[in-house]
Parts: sequence; structure tokens; C-alpha cells
Amino acid sequence: MTRPNDIEFTNVTKRFGDVVAVDNVSLSVERGAFFSFLGPSGCGKTTSLRMIAGFDQPTEGDVKLSGQSVVGVPPYKRPVNMVFQHYALFPHFNVGDNIGYGLRQRTPQPAKADIDRQVSEMLELVRLSGYENRRIWELSGGQQQRVALARALINHPTVLLLDEPLAALDRKLRREMQIELQTLQREVGITFILVTHDQEEALSMSDTICIMHDGQIVQTGSPTALYDDPVNRYVADFVGKSNFFEGKVVEADDHGAHIETASGRAFAGRNPRNAISLKNGSSAVLAVRPEIIFIASPKTGAPSNADVEAPAVIRNRIFLGEQTEYLVEAEGLGEVLVRAPKHAETQTGGFNPGDQVLIGWQSAAALALEDA
Amino acid sequence: MSKDYKDNMPISRQKFIEELRRYEKGSVSRRHFLGVTGLGFATAVMAGAVPGLRPSKAYAGNLGDKVVLATWPNYHDEANFEAFTKATGVNVQVNVFGSNEEMLAKLQAGGSGWDVFVPTNYTITTYVGENLIEPLDLKQIPNYEASAFDPRFAEPGTVNGKVYAVPKDWGTTGYVVNTKHTKGKKLTTWKEFWDITKTDFSGRTMVHDYQLTTIGNALKYFGYSFNSVDPKELADAEKLLLEVKPHLFAINSDYQPSLRSGDAWMSMCWTGDGKQLNSDMPEMEYVIGKEGGEIWSDFYAMPKGAPHSAAGYALINFLLDPAVNAKEVLAHGYPVGDSRTNALLPKELLEDPILYPAKELLDTLEFGAAATLTDPNRAELLARFKSA
Amino acid sequence: MQAKWINRLLLMPATVWLLVMLVLPLIFVIVFSFGERAPAGGYIPAFSFEQYANLPARFTAFKNTLTLAPLGTLAALLIAYPLAYYLAVKANPKWKTLLLVMVIVPFWTSILIRTYAWIYILGGRGIPHLLEFIGIDGVRLINTPFAVLVGIIYGYLPLMVFPIYVSLEKLDKRLLEASADLGSPPLRTFRQVTLPLSIPGVATGCMLVFILLMGEFLIPALLGGGKVFFIGNALVDLFLQSRNWAYGSAVAATLVIIMLVTVTLYMKLVARVGEQREDVSIL
Repeated sequence: MTRPNDIEFTNVTKRFGDVVAVDNVSLSVERGAFFSFLGPSGCGKTTSLRMIAGFDQPTEGDVKLSGQSVVGVPPYKRPVNMVFQHYALFPHFNVGDNIGYGLRQRTPQPAKADIDRQVSEMLELVRLSGYENRRIWELSGGQQQRVALARALINHPTVLLLDEPLAALDRKLRREMQIELQTLQREVGITFILVTHDQEEALSMSDTICIMHDGQIVQTGSPTALYDDPVNRYVADFVGKSNFFEGKVVEADDHGAHIETASGRAFAGRNPRNAISLKNGSSAVLAVRPEIIFIASPKTGAPSNADVEAPAVIRNRIFLGEQTEYLVEAEGLGEVLVRAPKHAETQTGGFNPGDQVLIGWQSAAALALEDA
Repeated sequence: MSKDYKDNMPISRQKFIEELRRYEKGSVSRRHFLGVTGLGFATAVMAGAVPGLRPSKAYAGNLGDKVVLATWPNYHDEANFEAFTKATGVNVQVNVFGSNEEMLAKLQAGGSGWDVFVPTNYTITTYVGENLIEPLDLKQIPNYEASAFDPRFAEPGTVNGKVYAVPKDWGTTGYVVNTKHTKGKKLTTWKEFWDITKTDFSGRTMVHDYQLTTIGNALKYFGYSFNSVDPKELADAEKLLLEVKPHLFAINSDYQPSLRSGDAWMSMCWTGDGKQLNSDMPEMEYVIGKEGGEIWSDFYAMPKGAPHSAAGYALINFLLDPAVNAKEVLAHGYPVGDSRTNALLPKELLEDPILYPAKELLDTLEFGAAATLTDPNRAELLARFKSA
Repeated sequence: MQAKWINRLLLMPATVWLLVMLVLPLIFVIVFSFGERAPAGGYIPAFSFEQYANLPARFTAFKNTLTLAPLGTLAALLIAYPLAYYLAVKANPKWKTLLLVMVIVPFWTSILIRTYAWIYILGGRGIPHLLEFIGIDGVRLINTPFAVLVGIIYGYLPLMVFPIYVSLEKLDKRLLEASADLGSPPLRTFRQVTLPLSIPGVATGCMLVFILLMGEFLIPALLGGGKVFFIGNALVDLFLQSRNWAYGSAVAATLVIIMLVTVTLYMKLVARVGEQREDVSIL
């Protein structure tokens, strides 16, 4: 059973002069999804969002909202609303008038009492009851964020667009708002489209993430899919942390490949799902997530399931609470990042810079990726 | 570098026209251009110090290196100043003024810094009364030979038997009319001036922004004295002025540009402007009203406390040298009352009816009186007329 | 202690300047306004209200100034606003600086010379002559209140453009997108967002132009042919022609009082708007 799509891009290209901001992108977003565009600045994510809002029109291709093409439709006629980066609240209106702005633009205009009622409902939704008459500059960043949300949601848009909504908040507040946004989305049940460069934000909130690079989609999928099966080095690097060992494919089949590094040692890795198989002789990388790497004292030796191991020296140790991050210099591998969970640390008693250790991993957990 | 002035004396007609053209290039009329801006005065330093041209033997006295002259726009031959600097080492700084009232206001305020200035006949008694000017030491002005001057133009310089000012030049105040628009009718009187303004010339006439002439010539409509301060007569003049005002093109003493462009067809006019306009546009006719009007004479005088008085005397003396003065006449286009100077001027100029009107016209003209200039009622009358 | 001393020192030049150049002359003007004109012009001390009683004789000057100054301000605003809007919002950033310089360039020439140019443009050989080509005869522009208005607008336009430009320039363009996003078409967005947020610039521009216009005398003298008489012209005549310092001072004092009242009322109005808004604060 598939739900109808709220948004559909068909071969959408957007050029600004000679610059191609969005390059032949096709995608669809299911109704009620929490969908994120993730990528570094200049990857085309914001332009994609602006084409949904109507601030930019595609140079080629078609954009559909609820099955209807909206190419050429101005923003004020689209059933979508946006939460702007830095909120773009009207400084000459108070909180209530900001939130009621969208209702006042309707023809016929709703009665004042009706607007007031809806505004106070919205304030309740964003937990700012009684703030109607506050001036915008009297609010904290988090409160402004919630006013911006209320101002957008009061119009009951079919899609809510969020442009880096949390970028201006401090870390703790950002966490809270992430949870709040997710809760809100479940409550109102409409499609949320988020644009962010913060992978953690995208991973924690979205159902689906679309990773963009140079105007093109690199991979679309659930956070887990992107983390476990990145199609290439770019995605693996963007989503979570990885150690990359560059080399040449010396042996490949449908399931995986052996990659020989500059040190002459070959490592096995599996192909991610949905990725094209690597070819013999092509350059590739072996991606190993730091949390799958074990770290042990030479005396205790490697765990039984590990099939790759190498002696190493601890360079640096960062205690992160639930885990500890080590930077080690491993023989034939160079610098390697390792994350040891709390329980493992308890067992080994931890290591200090300069300690001789043994690191390694299970080949089945390593990925052989296209070096892109 | 100017040639020795004796080389081109007496001057040819062609040379005269050339000199006059030079004067015409200054589009600014004699009075009031700067007055209208309210800026008061503009300053120009003439004849910048030329190295190696320090005082010559002729002026052995210590004259300093600067003299300040307050005068009217386009009223001198700059080459004469250069020659003066060359001869004496004294640079002439020229401050240009728009009206006698402005000059008086500046001297009354004190600290003018002037050494020589150019007052008009009717102001001199006021300056003397206000103790603002010094009697002249005529021994220091050997070029002033009283017998050579027409006493009519020299007498106002003498107050209570003391000579306070020596004559520079003189002129008349009439009007200039563009005969292209008169349909063959010849205008000869002030009555016609005002009447045609209300009819055929509506929106085409200019009067001076100057109470002395504008009120004076309105008084002439009724045959009153140009200098009248009689309340009843002034009331008549005011009635006429207010009646005419809606028909005026402008109240402005800078009338040449509008006459030249064709916007205005007629204006009250001083001799020199009349001469210039007529030379360029023969249809511009200079008329002295049969009823009379103003004749005036300008002077050189020295304010009390002139900072460079020796240089000031030297400058006056230099400018009154008949040969120098003849060049001055060619530059400013006004007649002088000095027979020695006239002897050096071309016959055409001396016979020019604009510069030298017929005797019967001249005889009707009046010199402006001191009381006319300072009369507060006349000043207020003009203000009421302007703001009406 | 020391900080206080430094503050005083910092304010010293401005205080001395204000005292010598503003307060002292103002006291002179007030004292003179109760005096009388000396027989040959100037001032003699007296205590009379005669000069104030004579004020009605300059009624037309006050009337002209108080009509054409607000009218000129309003007209300059109506022309300056769209220009400032274009420069700040619409103009290609590549050309913006050039366009701004073009607004300033006329200021590099003296106002006297620029106003003289208008004498020719509005005179018989200028616009009226061009109109004759399309069959419209007998148009007189020069030496009319209209010519004065044109001169005023021309002369003061940059003073109006710049404050408005600055307030529109710093206007967050995302507010306009937000408004569109919330369902407001461009014209309504202008009315509800752009215009209210540019009020500080409009207020500053109007104030600058109005205050300067109240003292204007050059443009009426040159383009009004001496027939359109402002208070400034009355003052020039009173001090430089009739040399009636007492009466001139009374006119000047009255002008100052009118300006003080107008500006105070205006500031009160702006302050009332500003009470509700942080972004509106002039002076």
C-alpha cells in the first residue's frame, strides 16, 4: 500500500545564469512524511526547497504538489508554508499579529474573533500561550522559532517547509526543538520538508533523507539505510563517521570486493545494497565505521569474530561519556579512528596515548565503496 | 601678458568691439546677480603673484603686497589689475557685490577688510554720517585732476567741503525694449513702459529687484520725483506696482539672460547692459523715459581703517590715469566724466546715444538721494510688492 | 570620577560650538526683534512689540513657505520613494553603486549652477519650445510657483532618496518572501511590510527636506523670478537691502518658533509610531 505523493519532481533543472543549482532531479515525497534534503552549502537543497515554495521556478522539468503541476504558480497561491532560516518574523507586528498574518491575507478575511481564536490555539500548540502581545524582539531564539512555526501552521498547509530551522539555536535548544518538531509533525500529520547541512539533525528527525551533491541526488533513503548502506564514499562520509582506506579492486563479485591498499595489503568488504558492483582494477575505498573496530591489548588478543587485525599505537583519546574515541596509528593503515563502547572500556580498563594495542574488525561489516 | 596700453591708444572701432565682446562674455549684469543669491560677495584674487615682478622704481614707497577692492561685477579691465601688480608688486583682491545696501550692511557690520570700494553717489553722505569712510588725501591721487571732471559727476563725492570720493564712471537707468514685439510703436516714456506691461507685454516685462529704481520709475508714471518719500506719492506708486505685478515676467536685476533668450521683452536697464544688448541684438532699444528717471555716478572711496591704505591710494591713482581709465571704459561700457579720458576714446563711442543720451533727456534725469536709499518706507514698500 | 571628566572634555567642542554658533545668535535675534531700525539701517536698542505687530506685512512670505515647503516635501517623497525602492530592492546589484553615484553626482555641482540650468530648461527656449513642436503654444513655466516646485524637488531629491534607500536596503528581503509565502500578493506585501518598515527613512527624509525648505531662498529667487517670495527671501531683503535688523529678527524668530512647533509635533507623531515599534526611532 503506498500513500499518495505530496511532492513530485520530474527531471527538474534550475540554472542561475551559467550555474546549475539543481541538475535533472526527480524525486517524490509521500504524504505525511518527514523528508530531509541533506548536503553541504551549494548542493542544491535550498533551491529545491525554494522551487516547492515558489520563490524560484524550475528552468526545466515539472514540480507537482498533490498531483498538480505548480510551475509558474506564485508563492502566495501555493498551499505550502515555510519556516525561514532566522525565522523572518515581521518586526513591526507583535506575536499574535505575526501568527495571524496568513489568515488576514485570505479573501474573504476571517472575522477578527476567529483569527484571535486560531492564533491562541496555535500559541497553545507551540507552548506559548498568552504571548499574543509580546514584541518579537522580546522573545528568545527558541520562542521565535516556535512563533515562526505557528505562523506557518495556522494556514494548515499541505506541506511545511523548514529551511535550516534550528541553525540559529544553541546545541541544547536544538535537541529540544528536534524532538518538538517530530512530535508536532505527528500531531498535525502533514508533510514536513527539511533542509539542513547538519547530518545529525536529518538523521534524528527524518523518515527519508535525500543527500544532494552538486545539484544532483546522490542517495535517497531512510536514515538507517543511508548509514548502513551508503552508495559511495560521499554518503558514507556525510552520514556518520568512517575510516576510509583507499586502494584498487583486486577481486570483485556481486557481493563484495577485495581492495588492495598502498601498503600492499588487501582487505575484503561487502557491497552496500543498491550499489553498483565494483570492477576489477578500479580505484575504490574500504569504509570501516569506527564503532565496529575493536581495540585490545596485545596480551588479551583479538576477539574471535575478527578477521582483520593490525598492531597500533594510541595517539589520542577522547572521552565522550557513553563511549571513548581513540585515534591510533595502525601498521599498514595509517591513522584510524576507533570508538570503544563504555562496557568494552570497563573490560579493558582503557588505554593511554603511547600504549601498544591491537585493532581489527570483521570483514563482513566493512564496506567496499566507489571512491566518489 | 598685457601689452603696454599706449600701443593701442587711441583705439580703433574694431578693437573697441573686441573689448566689448570680452565684457559681454560675462553674462552677469552689473548689479544684483550676487545679491539675489544672498551670498553677499564673491572673492577673486586677481593677478597672482608673478615671481620676479616685484615693486618697480616708480612706486618706491612700501605698499605691501595686497590691496582689497570691493566693487561691482564686470566693472573693471582685469588687464589693468595685472598691469598694476606688475608696476607695484601689489596684488589686487576683488570682492564683488550686488547692491549698495549690501556694501553698506557689510561696512556697518565692521571688519570688512576693504581698502577701496565703489559706492554710488547717493550713498556717500550716509557713509559720512555713519562715520564709515575717510576723507581722501588728494595729494596721494595726483591723477585726479578736479578740473578735468564734469562737476555733475564729481560733486556728490564732496561732503561738508571734504572730498570723500573721486568719480569712477556714470550712467543712466532707463529701459530696454525688444522692438520686434512693439508692432512698430515707439516707446518713449515710463507711462508707456507700465501701460504696455499691463496689456501687450503682459508676462514679458522685468523690473529691478531694487527699491531705488523700481519705485522711482513707478513714481515717474505719475510725474512725481524719482526720489519722492512723500507717503501719498508712494501710495500711488505702490498701487501701480501691485496692479502691474501679475503682468510681470520677473522682479530681478539680472535681466540680460531672459531678454537674450526671448522670454522677456522689456526690462528696466542700466547703461552698460543696454549697450551690450543693443550691440548683440539691434532690435533691443535703450529708452530713457521722457518724464525723467535716474542718472547716477559711481566713485572710488576708502573705508575707515583700511588695512592697506597706501596701496589703496596707489590703486585709485592708477585707475584714474586717463590711459588706464580709457581701457576701463572699453571693458565696462559706461561713460566717464573725465575729459582727459574721453580724449583717448574712439569717436563712435563718444557719439553713442546709449552711453551719451541727448541733452534734453539728460536734463530731466535726477540723481538718487541719500534719503531715498535709506528710507524705511520705500524698503517696506518694495518688500510688500515682492511678497504680494 | 575620571570618566566623568573625560565625558565633559569630549563634549566640550560641541558645547562651545553650539553656544557660539546657535545659542548666542539666537539670543541676539530675540533681543534684536524687540528693538528698532536705526535711521540709516541696522539696529538701535528698544523694547517694543512693533516688529511683531508688523509681521502680517510678510504674510504672503509665510503663506508661500508654509504651502510650498510641505508640498515640495510631499512631491519629493512621491518621486524619491519609487526611486529608492528600485535602487534598494529591484536594481541589479552590479549596477547599484553606479546608480547611487548617479543620484549623488549632481551634488558635486553647486546648487546655484544647477538651478541656473533649470532657468533655461523651463524658459522659453526649453520645454515650452519643445511643446510648440507638438502644437501646444503659450506655455509659460519659468517664474511660476510650478517652476519653484520643480526646482525644489530637483534640489532636494537626493536628501529624500538616501534615508529611504537606507531603510529599504536594510529591510530583510526574506520578510517579503515570508509575506508572499503566507498568501500575500506583491502589492499587499508592499503595503503591509515594505512600507511600514521604511517609515524611519521616510520620516528622516521628510524632516530633512522640510526643515531645509523652510529656510530656502535661492530657488524661489531664481526660478520664481522674484515673484514667489519665501521667508528666506524676506530675510535676505530685510538684512541686506532694507537693513532692518529689528524687523528681520522678528521674522527670523517667528520662523524659528514655527519650525520648533512643527518639528515637535512631527517628532511626537513619529514617537507615537515608534512606541509600538523598536525599528522606528529617529533622532
